[in-house]
Amino acid sequence: MEQLTEKPEKSWYDKSYKYLFFIPVTLTILALVFLINFNSQHGDVIFKDVTLTGGTTITVLDPEVSIEELFSSIQINFPDIKIRELSDFRTGQQKGFILETQSEVEDIRPALESVLGYELNKDNSSVEFSGAALSQGFYKQIRFAIIIAFIFMAIVIFLIFRTFVPSLAVIFAAFSDIVLTVAVIGLLKIPLSIAGVVAFLLLIGYSVDTDILLTTRTIKKKEGTINERIYGAFKTGLTMTLTSIAAIFIALIIIRNTSEVLRQMFTILLIGLGFDLFNTWLANAAILKWYAERKEASR
Amino acid sequence: MKIPIRIWILVIALILSLLVIKPTFDTGVAVKFVEQGSTVAEAGLTSREVIKEINGEKIENLEDYSRVINSIFIDEEEKRLDIITKENNYVFLTSEIPQITVEDIQKTNIQTGLDLRGGARALVQPDVPVTDSELQDLVDISRNRFNIFGLSDVNIQGISDLSGNKFMLVEVAGATPDDLEQLIAQQGKFEAKIANETVFSGGEKDIADVCRNDATCAAVTGCSISQGGYACNFAFTIFLTEEAAKKHADVTSELSLDETGRYLNESLFLFIDDKEVDSLLIGSSLRGQATTQISIQGSGTGETQERALEETRKEMNNLQTILLTGSLPYKLEIVKLDTVSPTLGKEFTSSIITAITAAILAVSLIVFIRYRKFKASLALLLTSFSELFIILGFAALIKWNLDLPSIAGILATIGTGVDQQIIILDEASQTKSLSIKDKLKRASSIILSAYLTLVAAMIPLYWAGAGLFKGFALTTIIGVTAGILITRPAFAEIIKRINN
Repeated sequence: MEQLTEKPEKSWYDKSYKYLFFIPVTLTILALVFLINFNSQHGDVIFKDVTLTGGTTITVLDPEVSIEELFSSIQINFPDIKIRELSDFRTGQQKGFILETQSEVEDIRPALESVLGYELNKDNSSVEFSGAALSQGFYKQIRFAIIIAFIFMAIVIFLIFRTFVPSLAVIFAAFSDIVLTVAVIGLLKIPLSIAGVVAFLLLIGYSVDTDILLTTRTIKKKEGTINERIYGAFKTGLTMTLTSIAAIFIALIIIRNTSEVLRQMFTILLIGLGFDLFNTWLANAAILKWYAERKEASR
Repeated sequence: MKIPIRIWILVIALILSLLVIKPTFDTGVAVKFVEQGSTVAEAGLTSREVIKEINGEKIENLEDYSRVINSIFIDEEEKRLDIITKENNYVFLTSEIPQITVEDIQKTNIQTGLDLRGGARALVQPDVPVTDSELQDLVDISRNRFNIFGLSDVNIQGISDLSGNKFMLVEVAGATPDDLEQLIAQQGKFEAKIANETVFSGGEKDIADVCRNDATCAAVTGCSISQGGYACNFAFTIFLTEEAAKKHADVTSELSLDETGRYLNESLFLFIDDKEVDSLLIGSSLRGQATTQISIQGSGTGETQERALEETRKEMNNLQTILLTGSLPYKLEIVKLDTVSPTLGKEFTSSIITAITAAILAVSLIVFIRYRKFKASLALLLTSFSELFIILGFAALIKWNLDLPSIAGILATIGTGVDQQIIILDEASQTKSLSIKDKLKRASSIILSAYLTLVAAMIPLYWAGAGLFKGFALTTIIGVTAGILITRPAFAEIIKRINN
């Protein structure tokens, strides 16, 4: 605190940044506790959909069928079934539905055909099947890929900044983005698909963008006060993240009822980018401010 | 005004992309495959031709084709067909629907994957661990099988994943999944046995040749009503190698005649994957003879005569394929099978294009509101679209199949691209002591750092999940690299000019 008291005027940010820092840190700790608890209850930190557990996804183009009726008549024999409507994003009209179950194609297909009253062929439907062992293998590998990607990212960050504290701050922000997003996905009970897991890789990429900007501006730049530098970076970074959020949000609205893969990727990015605002501008900025002020005082 | 080199690079990259993508505004349907020996093949139509007109009706796309063909062949009578292709005219009489496969004409050189085009993808795993060369053998035999079966547009490759599991990936554009499952999962061990002794089996060791596509020695011999449906029979001739013929002579010489005296007392049993599929009586005159020609018979059933015929042809083709290619060295398990409807693929494509366009427009609007600079916002808009175009050009150049993960990668890239352009805009517009050149320099160091971390994060994905997400990593890396080398420098240059 000494170096701060040397300055005659203290802005609101000077007084409160240390408290602001604790908001994302506390949230991250809460999220970690939640996830550890979640893991002990469900055996993993996420709910998985059939692309990760193995099973069948059938997409049928049928604007007429009643999805509720379909659901109730198939659910009797396939209790794990999930059905989601596909619709046109302009008119909102039903175009068909997506059905998910852990059963094999040979079992669910005839059952579905008998309820629908027609044969499923390549003109009216898509069928995706993944074996359980394969899906679980894929999940493990992509999870591994995320860990490796995270380590690679951390190494690159250390190589770029060559200073311990600022690098660690960037890495913490990326880590916290991921942890908080996983926790929210769990809270919302969204079952993740393989594409959703892949989206976390992208989140790493997006997340460090603003942190790199902030760190470069704050510790490499010399003109202006530290607060001014952080504020300048904040204006740029906020525009970056908000445009990303806007672009993803708009794409999500359009794609929502067409592609499950893109829908999930965009949802995860959207949540992650939201948290990134907190982690970058509350936590990372606070660490950098503390670091830069200490460094300037010691000079 | 002198145009600086960075802008030139962008312009050249755009022109090259346009040349590679090569968009056309042609209409018509392209012939993908012509059944050998069919009427239409005899008339001279070949694959790769583009059909423009049938019986005076213009054919612009696949829907037109099916509509016109269905309206002509409403009954079984003989019809005159006038097919005008881009290259030629064909006129012939026929009572059967032309045995060809057609597809919409390729509007660009951009290759779309199954998610967008429709088709089937299977990931197959042998039941025992295999080495790389064994996997390659499996791929070669399967590829041969698909060729002989007559499926075009098949991509087969051996892949291994991060855990060292080995798979064969089979991707077929447009085939029905029934065909696919049978073709790839069937080990195809063919054996012909007399009195429980194998006389000959499938593959080139025993089978010298198989008659196919020649009506004189391979045909559907007749259909009849049976058990509420129809059944048809087929027969085709196979030619045994001398070795197999001698074996046949040895085995039959020990047999005696049956009661009638016309046949031998043991039949020839045909097995596929240890399951009996048919048995043939052996004429008494063949006893002890080293015969090289044998007629193989079988049948197919269906609810209607048409279905029965189709089924029978399929069975015959399948049997011929197995006899020619021999058995696969392993039992195979289909661990993943996706079939995507072409109709759904079209939906994807149009909503993805809408989404990309809307997202880029929205971003430009936000940038305009934020900076109140019309030219800069326009430059950002143009740069983003150029980047999209360059990625597509590069994908077309390396003949990359754009699947959903690849498209997600493209979207991600445009997103990071916009972020970096905002950094350039902001750094450039700061009214501090630095020269515009130094400001842009600092922007580029931030961008380079962000680039390196993103590439580092993408690399592990290249190998995970049997490479099914390779496209995501690839398009992202191409996109951000094109960004850092081409579009970002050009954008910085444009901003420099606007600000000066």
